[in-house]
Amino acid sequence: MLTLGTKPLTAMIADDEAPMRDLLRARLAAVWPELRIVAEAANGVEAVALGEQHQPDIAFLDIRMPGLNGIEAARRLYQRSHIVFATAYDQYAMDAFEQGALDYLLKPVSAERLATTCARVRSRIKAPSPAQPDIGQQLAKLTSLLENKGQEKPKTGSYLRWIQAQVGASLRMVSTREVLFFQSDEKYTRVQTASAEFLIRKTLKELAEELDPDEFWRIHRSTLVRVDAIGEVARDLRGRHMLRLRGHPFELEVSRNHTYLFQQM
Amino acid sequence: MRASQINHGLDFMRDAFNEASKLWWRFFDWLAVVEWRQLFLTWFLAVVFCIILNMPEPAFWYVLISFGVKVLAGGKRRAELVAKEATMAANVATLERRLMEAQMAALQAQVEPHFLFNTLALIGQLIETDPQEAARVHAHLIEYLRSTLPQMRARDGGTLGKQVELSKAYLSIMQARMKERLGVRFEVPDFLGSAPFPPMMLQTLIENSIKHGLEPKIAGGTVTVRAYVDGATLHVEVCDDGVGIDPHADDGIGLANIRERLQLLYGANAELVIHTPPAGGACALIKLPYKMMETA
Repeated sequence: MLTLGTKPLTAMIADDEAPMRDLLRARLAAVWPELRIVAEAANGVEAVALGEQHQPDIAFLDIRMPGLNGIEAARRLYQRSHIVFATAYDQYAMDAFEQGALDYLLKPVSAERLATTCARVRSRIKAPSPAQPDIGQQLAKLTSLLENKGQEKPKTGSYLRWIQAQVGASLRMVSTREVLFFQSDEKYTRVQTASAEFLIRKTLKELAEELDPDEFWRIHRSTLVRVDAIGEVARDLRGRHMLRLRGHPFELEVSRNHTYLFQQM
Repeated sequence: MRASQINHGLDFMRDAFNEASKLWWRFFDWLAVVEWRQLFLTWFLAVVFCIILNMPEPAFWYVLISFGVKVLAGGKRRAELVAKEATMAANVATLERRLMEAQMAALQAQVEPHFLFNTLALIGQLIETDPQEAARVHAHLIEYLRSTLPQMRARDGGTLGKQVELSKAYLSIMQARMKERLGVRFEVPDFLGSAPFPPMMLQTLIENSIKHGLEPKIAGGTVTVRAYVDGATLHVEVCDDGVGIDPHADDGIGLANIRERLQLLYGANAELVIHTPPAGGACALIKLPYKMMETA
C-alpha cells in the first residue's frame, strides 16, 4: 500500500480557508522538509477527488469543510492514506480522536506540536502495527457523534422546526416557536402566530406526525396547540371545554376525547 | 308588536341602569382618592350654587352621602387602587428585568470560541507571510471584541451606524479567512446611521448567514445588508445566497433571543421575519418603529 525506501512520502492538505493551508504547508516545510505536498483541497468533495487521484501517503483534513466534512472525506480515503485531522476548537471531537487513537492537529498549528505528530505518523507508516484499531469503524462512530452533539454541524433533529408558507413570490419561514396553534380549515391549515396568520397546504395529520409531540398537543380533531402557550381550560355555558392561550385573545375548543390532557393529576 | 315594545323598554332600562352604576362607581373611585380639602371645596360650591337656586336639599344630600362614603369605604377603596398601581409597577419591573436578562444573554453568548481560535490562528499565520494584512485583521478583531464582550461594550452601541460598523469588522475578518468565497454588500443609507437599533441583532443575523448559509456551500456566496424606511418602520435585512434553511434545523438561541428582545422592547410593533427568496438563499428582516431624529 505504502511505498517506502528512497521515494519521499507525499501528503495532501484539505482546508476551506486558504490562510490555514498556507500555514500548515509552511510549518510542514520546516519540520518535515522531505514530505512532498502533492495536492491542496478547498473542500471535502475536492479532497476526496484529489485524494483518489494522487493517492497521498498522508491526508491532513480539516473537520469543518463545505461539501463533505473532514470525517466524511476520511471515510472515503483512509484505506489509501494515513489520516491526520485538524480542528481549531472542539474538545468534543478531540476526546473522540484520543479515544479512537486517531491523529489530529490543533489549530493554530504550532511547530513543536506538529513535529510530535509527524514523528508519530512516520513511525506508524514505517511499521503498521497489526493491533491498529479498525479506523473505518471509528470514523463511522465519529460521524454519528458529531451529527448528534458536535459543534461542527448545526443541530438537525428529526422534528419539523420551520413552517414554510407561501407569501407572494417568496417562501416565509415561520419558526415553530412562533406558532400558537394550527387549525385545519377545509382545504388548508391555518397557522396562527402572535401577530399573523398563514395558510399552508400541509394537513394537520402530516403536521402532527412531523412536529415534536412535546412542543404541540392535539386537543381537537382539527387543532394542534403549542404547549407553552396554554393558559387555562374552563367549561363554558354549553359544557364544552374551552382552552385559553396565555397572553393572546384566542379560545380553542378541546374535544371530549382530548380532555384527559387537562385532568388534574 | 306589544312584546317588542316591552323588550325595547326593558333594554332601555337595562342600559340606563348599567350607565348609572358605571357613573356611581366612577364617583365612588373619585371620592376614595380625592383630598379632603378638595372635597370641602366641592361642598362649598354645591351649597352656594343650590342657595342661589333657592333649593338647598340636593346640596345637603350630596354633602351627607359623600362624607359617609368617604369615611366608611374610602380607605379600603384607596388601598385597592394603590395595590393595583403597585401590581402594574411590578409588572413593568418584571419586564425590565426580563429585557436585561435577554440583553445579557445576547451579549454573553456571542464570541464563539471557534471564531476566536480561527482568527488568532489566521493572524499568527499572516504575521509570517503578510504582516500588513495581519495588522489589519488584528485591528478588526479588537473592534469586534470591544463590541461583543459585555465588560468592554461601549456605551453608544445602540445605533444602526454603530452596529453596521461592527458588522463590517466581523465581515472583514471572515473575508480574510474565506477569501473569494465570501462577498459582502452594504446598502445602508448614511442618514439611517443615527437611528436607534438594539445591539448584537445585526451581528447575529450575519453570523447565521455565514455559518448556516455560506460556509456549507462550496462556492460560497454574498451577504447583503440592507436598511430602509417604509412609512414609520425601519427595515434592516440580511440576505445571503447560500444553501437556504433546512426545515428540520433548530432555529437556535440567536433568533429566539432576537424575537424575545424585540417583543420586550417594542411589543407588537416590531418583528423578525425569515423568508427564502425564489432565487435561493435566505433573508432575515427586522422591522421596528422608526422615529425621525431631529438632529442639529
